[in-house]
This record gives sequence, structure tokens and C-alpha cells, in this order.
Amino acid sequence: MSGATEANERLVCAILAEQVAALRDRMDASAAFDLLWRTTALLSWLSGLLGDLSRHSANTNPVLERERAEAIAEVAEIRGELDRLAFSQAQRQDFARQIADCVVTALERMAVAEMPAGTSFSSNDLAALYVSDDQRKLHDAVVQRMNS
Amino acid sequence: MPVILVLDDSATMVMSLSHILKGAGYEVETGMNGREGINKLGEGIKPSVILTDLNMPELDGIGFIKEARKIASTRFTPIIVLTTESGGRKRDEARAAGASGWLTKPAEPNQLLSVVKQLCPAK
Repeated sequence: MSGATEANERLVCAILAEQVAALRDRMDASAAFDLLWRTTALLSWLSGLLGDLSRHSANTNPVLERERAEAIAEVAEIRGELDRLAFSQAQRQDFARQIADCVVTALERMAVAEMPAGTSFSSNDLAALYVSDDQRKLHDAVVQRMNS
Repeated sequence: MPVILVLDDSATMVMSLSHILKGAGYEVETGMNGREGINKLGEGIKPSVILTDLNMPELDGIGFIKEARKIASTRFTPIIVLTTESGGRKRDEARAAGASGWLTKPAEPNQLLSVVKQLCPAK
């Protein structure tokens, strides 16, 4: 491989590393999650408020009482669903961020100029960056496919 | 109120775990890596349970567990590893370092709370 081609490949790796890093940094959805958690906290507060209002009300209307109980049950169910949804999304986002991190590290190493292109980073070096078995399984499947 | 120390380099995960644990009646202290966790312990925080990720910058989960086990106040504190890693080798490494348990992400909020409540019931 010519020196110009090696330099060009390293440049491409450096650019890709920056682009994936920018994408990874945009994965932070804290504001959306904060809103979700605040919504569940608000639902919990409203549910408690409904109970308190009912306890302090002199007027005991059986229809209103039944509707209050139904509303509290519904709020509890929605709150539970929102909790599960937010927690699951947070974990997925964390996993995606870690995979992006792995790609950035690999590209950054491949962009280093001290070693000849093709020798600075191996598939074993890449495997050492993985943070989950899913990544390792995918890695093995690709290696197998490329070798067959 | 029992204190839970949560260590994860993902701000979203820290926020999510804090919300779930606070909602169940726990006080939550947080750190973004193992070094911050050790600093919190140095400040005198005495957690009833520690939840830690494995892959974190500066000081990773295994390094944190090893250092925490050298501190008298956390020598026997339950440390639960919450991570995307499900591999046996990492699990053995964490256990050898002194981890008490293991939860693989994605985990359900109820699953997490059930483990924490077993180790330390909320008051």
C-alpha cells in the first residue's frame, strides 16, 4: 500500500472517529428522561392527593368514591408502565453509547500514524474493547462469515 | 432512610436508578465512575447497598470493588454489579474482587428493587 493511500485511510478513520463521537455525545437524552421521571412523580403526587381529598371530604358519594378508586388504580398502572419504559430506554441508550464508544476507540487507534496501515489494530484488539457478550457473539459471527 | 450508592458513567442510567430507588424509599448518592465512588466513601457516606457498573472511566467497577473492600466501613457492604456484561469471566472477576451479586442490563425496575430490598428493606 502506498504512503499516500495509507495517509488517506488514516484520515478517513480520524474523520469517522470524530463523526461517531459526535453521534455518541448526542445520545444523551437526559432532558427527555427527566421529563418522564417528573411525570411519574407528578402522577404519584396526584394519586396521593386524590386519596387525601377523599378522606377529608364530608360528602361521601359512592359513585365519586368508585371513580376515585378507579383513577388511583389507573394512575398506578400508568406510573408502573412509564417507570418500566424509561428504565428500559435508559439501558438501551447506555448500551448504544457503549457500542459507539467502542467504534470511536477503534477508529482513533486506526488513525494513528506510527504504524503501517493494517497493522495498528487487529480484530482481537477490537474484541478487547467489548462490553457485552452480544458484541462478542456478533464479532464471532462476522469473523466466521469472512473466513468461510 | 437507608442510603444506596449508585455508580454509572451514563448520566441517564444514574438518573433512572436514582428515580426508581428514591421512589421505593431509599436515599441515593451517585458517582460517574469508581474514583467518584471511593471519594464519596471517603467523605463518610455509609451506604447500605452499592450498585455499580463495570465499564467506567478512571476507575472501573472491578477496581472500585477492590478499593471499597479495603475500606473498613464497606468491607462487608453488599455490592451489586449492574452491567451489560453477561460473560462468566467478567462475573468471576467481579466475584473475586468482592462483588456480592450481579444484574445484567437490561433489567426490570422490579427485578432491581427486589434485589435491593432483599439486601436492605426500605424504612
